[in-house]
Amino acid sequence: MDASPTAELTTTPGQYVGEPPQDGGGGDSTSRPPHPLIGIHLCGSTALLWRTADVRAAREAGVVGSLVGALPRQPRQNGRLGRPLQLGREELRLLLETRRASVRLPGDDLERSAPNSEGEVQQAQVECYEEEQRRSFEVQSILALEERKSALLRAMGGAKQGYHRNHTTDRGVSGHLEVLDQSFIFPRSAVAVQLSTARAGLSHCSDERTLLSSAQPGSSLRDPRSESRFQVFRDLRQRGYYITSAGKFGGDFLVYPGDPLRFHAHFIAVCVALDEQLPLVDVLAVARLGSNVKKTVLLCSPGPRAAPVHYTSLQWSGMV
Amino acid sequence: MAEPNKTDDSDGIFSELLSPSELFAARSRTRKLPVRGQKDFYPSGSEQQKQQLQNSLDEHWDLVSEERVERLGNLVRGIWNPSDQIVELQSPAGKFWQTMGFSANGKQCLQPEEALYLMECGNLQVFHRDLPLSIQEGYETFLSSSKLSLQQYQVFGHLKRLGYVVSRFHTSSVPSLYERQLNLPPPRDRGAIQLKRKRSPSPEATATVASSPSSARDEAAYRSHPSAQQPVSESSHPPADDVTGRSWWGDRLFPPEQQQEGGPSPGGSTSRRDFLSIQFPDLGARDSPGPLAPPDPSLLPGAMAVGVCSVSSWQRRLNMRKEKPSGREQRRREEEERARRSKGPDREVQGCRSWAEYRRLMERRRKWNSGSAMRPAHLWEKDVTPLHDPRQGTSTAELLEKISVVKTSRWADKACSVQAVGEWQISFNVHQPAVNTEFRKSSPGTPYSRMCVCSFDGPVPGLGELQHLSQQSGDVPVTMAVVDHGDISFYTFKHFLLPCDLPQ
Repeated sequence: MDASPTAELTTTPGQYVGEPPQDGGGGDSTSRPPHPLIGIHLCGSTALLWRTADVRAAREAGVVGSLVGALPRQPRQNGRLGRPLQLGREELRLLLETRRASVRLPGDDLERSAPNSEGEVQQAQVECYEEEQRRSFEVQSILALEERKSALLRAMGGAKQGYHRNHTTDRGVSGHLEVLDQSFIFPRSAVAVQLSTARAGLSHCSDERTLLSSAQPGSSLRDPRSESRFQVFRDLRQRGYYITSAGKFGGDFLVYPGDPLRFHAHFIAVCVALDEQLPLVDVLAVARLGSNVKKTVLLCSPGPRAAPVHYTSLQWSGMV
Repeated sequence: MAEPNKTDDSDGIFSELLSPSELFAARSRTRKLPVRGQKDFYPSGSEQQKQQLQNSLDEHWDLVSEERVERLGNLVRGIWNPSDQIVELQSPAGKFWQTMGFSANGKQCLQPEEALYLMECGNLQVFHRDLPLSIQEGYETFLSSSKLSLQQYQVFGHLKRLGYVVSRFHTSSVPSLYERQLNLPPPRDRGAIQLKRKRSPSPEATATVASSPSSARDEAAYRSHPSAQQPVSESSHPPADDVTGRSWWGDRLFPPEQQQEGGPSPGGSTSRRDFLSIQFPDLGARDSPGPLAPPDPSLLPGAMAVGVCSVSSWQRRLNMRKEKPSGREQRRREEEERARRSKGPDREVQGCRSWAEYRRLMERRRKWNSGSAMRPAHLWEKDVTPLHDPRQGTSTAELLEKISVVKTSRWADKACSVQAVGEWQISFNVHQPAVNTEFRKSSPGTPYSRMCVCSFDGPVPGLGELQHLSQQSGDVPVTMAVVDHGDISFYTFKHFLLPCDLPQ
C-alpha cells in the first residue's frame, strides 16, 4: 500500500527532465527560415490566433495553446474544437519575446461614426463585396450545370451498357443536354457562401495596426508569481517539451514529451518559489493527485537571475 | 476536401478566402471527424512514430483550416445594431427560434452571444454596414461590451454545444421568497391565470342574493342552538365541496355581537356591497329549505331571467351524515364548550394595555399551569437554567439536539449572514436539452441550474458570496463554471448535513 503518507522527497534537479526528448519539436529556431510574424488578436485581454497559418506557425514554435471555437465540420460538439486558438499568458510572452509574433489591434471604426472619406472607402468595399458575390454566383451556376451534365452522361452511359451502341441514343443524349442547357436554373439559394473565420480583409483591414512587441498588454504589472511561471514555462520549452495548462490537475502546467496530439503528458508542473514555505498537506495532496492520474508531479522553482530552474519530483516511497 | 486558397505564404489578407470553385466543391465535403488513435507514451524517434505524428498533424491541420461553407438558402440574415448591442434578423429565423432570441418592436432579435454561437454553427450571417462579419469580427465586436466577456461566451458556447438551453439571467426573473412561499405564478402568467379563474364556472353564480324571510329564519335557528349543530370538521369535509360551503361557513368568522352592532350601515357607500347584510341560505340545515327563491331582477344584468332554483341535487352531494364522535371526544368537546361559556370575557386579558403586558400575563399563567412545584425555583427561576427538563424529550436524538450549544446552520439560509464581498454574479439560466422537455421561451419554467462564470486565476468564492449567489438564484442550484484557457470545469457547492444515525 502506498497509502501511507511517507512520501519521499527526492531533490534531484533535472533528474527527470535532464535529457530532452529526441523529437525536439523546434525548441530553437535560429536555423529555421524566417516566418512572417504571427498575428495575435486581442479579445478583451485574451490573445487569440485566427488564421491557420498563424496557428501552425505557433505550433511549430512549440506553442500549443487551446482551440476554443466551434469546429466548422461539426459545430455542435465539444470533443474537438476549432479556431480561434487561445494563448496562455506564458505562451503569448514567449512568442513576443522570441519576436515570432506581434499583437494587432482591430480597427475601431465599427464604433466610430465614419467621416466622409472613410464612408467612401466603405462604399467601395461594399461594391467590391457585391461584385464578388455576383461573380461567385455566375461561376457556381456554370459549375452546377457542368456537374448536372456529367451526371446525366454517366447515367446515360450506364443505361447504354445493356443496349447496342446506335445513333439514336447518342442523339437522345445530345437532345437531353440541349434541353438541360436551356432549362437549367441555378437557384440563388443554392449558391455556396463562405462564412469567414478570420477577418476577411474586405472590411477593416486598412485600420489594422501592428504593435511593437514591447507594448504588449500587462507587461508593466507582472507579479512575481507569473514571472516564475514564465521562467518555468520557458525553461521547459527550451528543453523541448510541449506544455499546456493543468488547471484540472491542480497544477500550473501539463508537460508532454512530444506533440500532445500523439503523446500523453508525463508531468504536472507546480511552480513554487525557492524560498516558499509549503505546507506538507499541500505537497501530499498534489502528489496523491499526480499518482492517481499516473503522472509525476514536479515542483519547479526558478533560481534567482537566470539561474537554472530546480525541479523536484515527489514519489511514494513504497515502504509500508 | 477543400483546402483554403493558399496562393502565397506571405502575410496575405485574402489567403483564407475561398474561390467560387472551391466553394462549390465544398458542398460535398465530408462531415465526419477523424478518429484519434492511441497515444504513445514516449517519443522513441522511430520512423513509424514520426509517420504517425505527421499523419495526425496533417489531419489536424485539415480540420483546423476548414472554412465554413453554407448554402445561401440555409443562412439567416441578421444586422448588428451597435447601439442596442443586439442582432436584428432580416429573414425569418430558423429552428433555433424555439430556444433563442426575443421579439422587440416587431422584430426578431438575438443577443450577441446567441448570434455569435449561430454564426459559429453556420446558421447565421450577420452584416454590419452592408458587409458580412467574419467569426473573428463577431468575437471582437460582440464581446467587447462590458455585459459579455469572452469567458462568459465560452461557457455559453460550451453549454449550447452540449444541447442545453441557455439564457441570460436577470435578478428580477427570480420570484422573491415571499412569492415562493405563497406559490405565486410567475409575473408573466399571472394575468392569464386570473382570466382563467374568472371564466371557470363557479357555483357562486347560482347562489341567490336574497334577504328572504326563510333564510333569515334559518340563520336564527342556527344561532339558537349552535352546540347541536357542530360544524362538520374540516378533515371529513372533501375540499371540492368546500366551494359551496364557504359562503355560509364564512359567517362563523364574525361574532354575533359584531354582526348586530356593525351591521348594515344605511348611509354607507352604495357602490360596495356590504357582505355582512347579505344573507346566504343554509343549504346544510337539517330541515331542507326547499327550492331557492329567484333573485331580485333589479340585481341581474340585462335581459337575464333566473327562475326558482332547486337545491336538492346539491344537497345529495353534501355530506349530511351526523357526526359521531367517540365518547371521549364528545366529553372533551362538551367540557371545552362549557369552559368557554362559563368564563366569559377574560378580565385579566382585557386589562392588558399592551402586547408586552399580555405576553407577561400568558407567561405567568403558563408557569402556573406547568406546576412550578415540580421545578425547583432555585434551578428554574434564575437567569441560568438547566439545558434539559428531565420530564420532556427522552429520546437520545432529541437530547443531543437540545444540548448542542452550537446549532448547525445552512449557509443558504438567511439566518447566517456573512458579509458578501467581490463581484460575483450569475450569468446564465440553464435548462435541460430542449429535446427531452417541452421548452417554451414564454414560460421557461424552473431552470436546471444557474451558471456563475469565473476564472482559474481568480479567487474562490467565500461563504458570503456563495450565500449571496444562492439567495439571488432562489431554489435553483448555482453552478460555478471555471474557465482555464478555454477548458471549462463545473463545480457546485452544496450544503451537507451530517447524517445522524440515532433513533428519532
